[in-house]
Amino acid sequence: MGKIPPSFRPAITYSLVKKPPLTEASSSIQTPTPIPPLHFPKKSSKKNDDKLSRKPQQSKQHPAIQNLLESPDLPSAKKIFNSIAATTKATLDLRFHNALLQSYASVSTVPDSISLLQHMVKTNPEFSPDRSTYHILLSQSCRAPDSSLSPVHQTLNFMVSNGFKPNQVTTDIVIRSLCEVGRFDDAVELVKEMSLKHSPPDSFTFNFLVKCLCKCRTLSTVYGFIEEMKNSFGIKPDLVTYTILIDNVCNSKNLREATRLLGVLNECGFKPDCFVYNTIMKGYCMLSRGSEAIEVFNKMKEEGVEPDLVTYNTLIFGLSKAGRVKEARKYLDIMVEKGHFPDAVTYTSLMNGMCREGNALGALALLEEMQRKSCSPNSCTYNTLLHGLCKCRLLEKGIDLYREMKSAGIKLETASYATLVRTLCRAGRVAEAYEVFDYAIESKSLTDVAAYTTLESTLKWLKKAKEQGHAL
Amino acid sequence: MLPQRIKKTITDNPKKLANLIDLVNLPSTLREFVGHSQASRLGCFMRVWSYIKENNLQDPNNKNVVNCDEKLRSILLGKPQVDLAELPALIKLHFPKKLK
Repeated sequence: MGKIPPSFRPAITYSLVKKPPLTEASSSIQTPTPIPPLHFPKKSSKKNDDKLSRKPQQSKQHPAIQNLLESPDLPSAKKIFNSIAATTKATLDLRFHNALLQSYASVSTVPDSISLLQHMVKTNPEFSPDRSTYHILLSQSCRAPDSSLSPVHQTLNFMVSNGFKPNQVTTDIVIRSLCEVGRFDDAVELVKEMSLKHSPPDSFTFNFLVKCLCKCRTLSTVYGFIEEMKNSFGIKPDLVTYTILIDNVCNSKNLREATRLLGVLNECGFKPDCFVYNTIMKGYCMLSRGSEAIEVFNKMKEEGVEPDLVTYNTLIFGLSKAGRVKEARKYLDIMVEKGHFPDAVTYTSLMNGMCREGNALGALALLEEMQRKSCSPNSCTYNTLLHGLCKCRLLEKGIDLYREMKSAGIKLETASYATLVRTLCRAGRVAEAYEVFDYAIESKSLTDVAAYTTLESTLKWLKKAKEQGHAL
Repeated sequence: MLPQRIKKTITDNPKKLANLIDLVNLPSTLREFVGHSQASRLGCFMRVWSYIKENNLQDPNNKNVVNCDEKLRSILLGKPQVDLAELPALIKLHFPKKLK
């Protein structure tokens, strides 16, 4: 709900580093049987067909690279490179060199990888490393076990001395690699340094870093970072940055701060979009503050922002949670009227609300309605219903539903499992409870321990209740 | 709700979990039944329950009751009939609390 789609990133940045090894890996899977390598070059040189000759060669060599460059030993890596270069008659392209370097860099140290690259350039004058080659080195140097930033600096200096000025792609790769291995403080330090010396991050990199920091640092640290980037390097937070911040404060239930951020957003001249509103609405819904959620919805309409599926789902979820099921139902109708198709999430939220009210039969009717509209329920829907039916003491209907789930292989959730077992035991149908226990383990819904603990404690509770003469 | 409270104490208390899944040296009667010299309480329960299912020992008229065969009787206090509801408690008898 209200999250930033990951597709915001341009694919090109990543493809530079990640694609070459990936395609190698897939080609090595496709051709696992080794064919004598001499055979193909001969044939192709006779044919003189450049395109045909290159393709089979690559697929033949790359499995070898993957197998051979497993040791961090530099002389042997050089030897392997030499032998491949000597036995291959067709020209080796950039991708080949990159793949070789990538496989070596992933097992070796930064200085050794640099030496190997220098060796490659020296032995094969036709090969001129381009930006992507250096980026491979760079992304590996960020993953180096070294706790300082010196390998990264070393690689950057090497890159600059060979005439490649780091650009935004470089910055992005460095930041993402560092964040991937959890070195957030280093990433912050480096992004400042890169902004000062080479190239400031683009909005995607910047927002990525902000998002990472939000997850693991205090809010004041994040604000400090944003402020510093704005004052020192002129990188202003954009709408996405604010959405990330609002999402973060909403998740920590700090809605006052979210409202303040909304004010700041307006001051900066941004108009809140659907994502911002959805995020704020989610914040209110998580606190079961239905009225405020509806207010946000009305504000959206006032401002002319068209609510989307997520907006409606959030609102229906929130109202159901706050026990205002009738209103939630009304919004379901409004949503359909506006041409949206309610999905499993919409219906499940509403069913949850109905079950909480004790209206499990209504929820069951909703399941039928949902299926009639050819919206297929998911495992969460079934579990919600099962839980609700058992709570409302509609055991027979619950068992019917359980059988349906079992035949469809739908997993049980902890809460619905526990409720079903308890209800069965209470009705004196212990054998069936054992059957459910078996299914929970067989379908890997729960761990053995969790399933058994629930069963055991339920039986213990049952015995105690019987002894004390409680009505079951 | 009582069961939820029990569940919470178990997840909060690692010792309780340990006495469920730690391997212990079994007493000789149980050792014969399980076929190992060491097992956890959970493993033991699973073994007994699958033994009941494999040998169709549940009473056909009342599935909640198990008609013990000789082997089963040897580990379940010699009872001819056992309620499924008391099975975990009966198995627990073989796993006394460790004294410190």
